[in-house]
Amino acid sequence: MDALNNPQLQQLINQEKERAMANEMIAKLTSACWDKCITGIPGSKFSSSESSCLSNCAQRYIDMSAMIVKRFHSMQ
Amino acid sequence: MDSFSSPSSSSPSSQMSAEDFMDQLKVQLAQAYAEEFLETVRGKCFDKCITKPGSSLSGGESSCISRCVDRYIEATGIISRSLFNAQR
Repeated sequence: MDALNNPQLQQLINQEKERAMANEMIAKLTSACWDKCITGIPGSKFSSSESSCLSNCAQRYIDMSAMIVKRFHSMQ
Repeated sequence: MDSFSSPSSSSPSSQMSAEDFMDQLKVQLAQAYAEEFLETVRGKCFDKCITKPGSSLSGGESSCISRCVDRYIEATGIISRSLFNAQR
């Protein structure tokens, strides 16, 4: 088996790579948003403000990323 | 036996199938992910729950840790769904 000469295998490897990168993004964002949103001692469930903070956090991160790209391009 | 001969020049039975390779790749990725996840949870819950280390884990510390692990897993799901819903 020579991975470099097998296009189907390359595609499968690329899919796993994308999956791993998506998982890493989720992990990093969860860590950052946990720090921002879960300020007290963890309870037996999230308060509604904690859970909306978490989902807002992810969406604002996406908005921010788009804004950064746009700004960066407008400066070139 | 020439210890410098390349693996691809040896017999087919010593080569791995593409399927076996992908299985091994997926297992290793899953293991790496699990280890990283556990390390993150350790850090977060240590910060939240063990504020003044005593001579053993108190009942309060233990239940805090349990809740913390559950909440962190839940938070991962919330973030994951939020990201998925935002992208078209």
